[in-house]
Formats: sequence, C-alpha cells, structure tokens
Amino acid sequence: MSEPFEPKIVGFLCYWCSYTAADLAGVSRMKYPPNLRVIRVMCSSRVDPVFIIKALLDGADGVLVAGCHPGDCHYQKGNYYARRKVALTKKILESLGLGPERVKLSWIAASEGPKFAQVAKEFTEEIRRLGPNPARAEIFL
Amino acid sequence: MVAVKIEGNRWEGFKGFLRDLLGEGAVGAVVVPYPVPAGDSFAHLLVKEPSRVDHAWPVAPVMTVQGGRVVSRLTRKGPVEVPTVVVLRPCELAAMRELIKLNQVKPQGLLTVSFDCPGAYPLRSYLEGNGEEIKAAFLNALKDFRLAGARPLCQVCIRFTGAWADIEVGFLGAPQGSFYLIAHTPQGEKALEALGYTGQEDLAEREKAVEELTASRVSEREAYFREEFGPQVAGPEALLATFHNCINCHNCMRVCPICFCRECFFESNALKVAPHNYLMRARRKGGLRFMPDTLLFHTGRMNHMSLSCVSCGACEDACPNAVPVSRLFAMVGDRTRAIFQYEPGRDLEEPIPFLDYREEELQEWEEPYIQSTTHCPSSL
Repeated sequence: MSEPFEPKIVGFLCYWCSYTAADLAGVSRMKYPPNLRVIRVMCSSRVDPVFIIKALLDGADGVLVAGCHPGDCHYQKGNYYARRKVALTKKILESLGLGPERVKLSWIAASEGPKFAQVAKEFTEEIRRLGPNPARAEIFL
Repeated sequence: MVAVKIEGNRWEGFKGFLRDLLGEGAVGAVVVPYPVPAGDSFAHLLVKEPSRVDHAWPVAPVMTVQGGRVVSRLTRKGPVEVPTVVVLRPCELAAMRELIKLNQVKPQGLLTVSFDCPGAYPLRSYLEGNGEEIKAAFLNALKDFRLAGARPLCQVCIRFTGAWADIEVGFLGAPQGSFYLIAHTPQGEKALEALGYTGQEDLAEREKAVEELTASRVSEREAYFREEFGPQVAGPEALLATFHNCINCHNCMRVCPICFCRECFFESNALKVAPHNYLMRARRKGGLRFMPDTLLFHTGRMNHMSLSCVSCGACEDACPNAVPVSRLFAMVGDRTRAIFQYEPGRDLEEPIPFLDYREEELQEWEEPYIQSTTHCPSSL
C-alpha cells in the first residue's frame, strides 16, 4: 500500500518581504502545513524561470514564488520583472500541457505573517487536490 | 518613400540591382547567399567584386546559416567601415534587428535588403535530393509563391515580406515579369536615388496581395498549432515522446540566431553536479536518463529566448534526429509573445519584455495582492 500523498512544494521567498513574513509567522507560532520547503532569494526577480522548471521536472508538486508587493520592492522594480518571468513560465507550461497551476506567484509583505501562513495553507490544499506531479516518477526527462 | 517597378526577369533583375549598387559605388560590399563550388549547398558570401554578384542566389532555396548570425559575426568588433548591403530573408532580418537590441549587431553602415520569401526547403531534403531539379522548382516559386515541400514552419510563416528592411524587393502583387523596389528608410531612398530610381509607384495591388496572404497564413498557422501540431506535443506524455529522440547535442541552440550567450546556462557547470546528486535523483525516481536534463534544456531555453524567437526554423534544420524543435518553439513563442503583444524585430525602440515592465499589468498571473481581510486578521 502506497503512502498517502503529501505534496512537496518549493517556495522561493524574497529576503526583504516574504521570507521575513515566514519568519514572523514562525515566531508568532502560527500553524501552517509543513509541505513548503523554503529557499531564500535576495529578490523574487532572482528566480530564473529555469529554477521553477527544474524544481517541477525533479518532482516538486508545486512552486511558490513570493516577493514584496508591487511598488514595495527593496530594489525598486525587481518584483515587476519577477511577475513578467512567472507569467512567461506559466504560459509555457500551459502551452505544453504541463500544469501551469502548479506555479504560484504571491505578494507577501514583511508584516504579513498571517498571510504567509494562509498562502502556504491554501497552496498546499490546491496542490493536494491536483495530486502528485507526474514528473515525479518520470525517468526519461 | 521611393517605390519603383522594375520590368524584366525577377531573378536577373534582383541580381542586377545588387550588382548596380556595388558597381555604381553606392555601397562597398554585399553580403548575399552564394552557391558553394561543389554546387550542392549555399553559403553567405561577403562580395567586393561586382561581377561576382552574377552568380549569387539572393533568394536561396535553403537556409544554411541564419543570416542574423552572419551579420552578428561581421559586426561583432565594430560597425562596418564601408556601406555594406546585407541581403536577408525576412526571418533573418527580424533576427538581426533583435540582435541590434541585444547589442550583438552594430547596424551603422549596413543597408538591409529583404524580399517576399517563398520559404525554404528542409536542409536535409535539399542535400539528399536532386539539387538542380530543386533549384529549378525554387526559381519557379518566385513566380507563383507556392513552394511545394517547403519546411512546415515556412508554410505557415506570417512575416514573409521585407517590410522591415531599408529596401524591400516585392514580388507579390507585381505583374508577371516585373517586381518592385521599395525604400522604407532614408538610407534606402538614398541608395535607390543613387541608381537613378525615383518616383512613387502605386502599390495598392501589392498591399492587397500581401494582406490577403497574411490573413490566410495567420489563420492557417493558428489552426496548425491548435489542431494538428499542438495535440501531438502537448501534455507530459506527448511532450516526452517528442523529445525521446533528442541526443542533447545542443545543435538547436548553437545555430539559433537569438542564442548569443557566450556560455549557455545549460552547458555551464551549474548543471554538472557530483555523482551523488545523480544517484540521489535516480534513487528518487528509480532511474535517471543520461544525458540528463533534456527537457530542462528545451523548456528552459523556451523561457530564455522564446520571446525573441523569429520562427526561422534553423534549429529544426540542424537537428540530427528530426525533433520538431522549431515548430514547438514557434507554437510556444506565439503564445508567450502574445502576453506582451511583442513581436521580435518589429521596432528597434521597443524593449525586450524582460527589460521592461508596467506597474499595472499581468494581474491574472498573480494572486490578487489587494489585501483581503481574511489574510490579515485584526487580532494580530
């Protein structure tokens, strides 16, 4: 009997906002599912679309990219670029039928610990509904 | 705008025009496709001697090296010192213009000439077929603009005129036994005037012909990707089957005019990892194909360059294993470019979407960022 499906989600969180929000959620002892594996990046625009694809092809069930709200980027405009890149990646995944809904872009400010917990919870549930990523067991990638 | 009608054989007329440009001293050199001495293929030649132009094939039946790359190599270390004509297919011209934006081509001193392109044969079918027969069939296609056996992507090409060039050579809409020379820029006008061409021919017939063909190609292209090609490649299984023959040689990237990076990310050390990493991946999945990361290479490359992809088909010509790379990239590229209403090569002032942004855009791709109360309970 196989184990019940537990999603594995990779989260790229920007240092200035979303990672701080995750930190805040932690120190505030908020509960959220442990399915999100966090990778801290200095800015959401640091996330090369290849990171997202690589995570998905290596078997991650979902990828979350989170950064400062538009207008709040520590580097002025990084999150605007990130939004373009994520839109592009999702469009490519959509065109190839590879499940664009497994990629999510979210804006979480440093003070929004509760929102971080909420996003983690909602996205985990979304991925749970989608089921395991078919690339998980695919050898011939 | 200068637009003139030239009477006479289109093929000889086109070459005559290039020879006159060089012979009259309007330009100092011409870059033009040329048959190789063995007679079974073509290469771009930087021509200085006017009589050499007589043997050129300004419209070649195959695309061996993408012209955008040729111009990039020519001007890598600086702009040309004497005015130089470059004869390019419309997709080569689009690539060149995209490379100007990417600082890979220095456009000063270049005079671009492009033409109504009937398409090109797949490189392999041309090399394996009867060259002379194919050449004859190709010259015929300049008259009726139907090229049987053209590459699939050429058959649904929607940018087949030289409208972005300094001088456009127009066959469509011209009466048989004539063609148009149309200058689109002051440099083009100057060059035409240097040859004594002035005046403004009525182009209404031509515009109508181009418009009609464009409209039918646009719907054919859309239908081809949606109904015929798309279902063959979309979805994890179909996509994997498409790439099962890929041997990861990266030829598609090497011949691509847009892939100019000196070191491609997918050939860098970033993807060469220690054995335990491969073993870990093999353990997780039960096995790991070598060479690894084939799909990562192709989908990753789509992320990096599909916005600038000019659908020239060079990648598919270069593939040793007949993977339909160019159609896949064209299909995906059509859709990614639509997000930003971007068209590669259209406007030299239009920034590449990666280098630009709007404060209010693309909201459908993000989770709404207007704070909802559920996200921020007041109890905090």
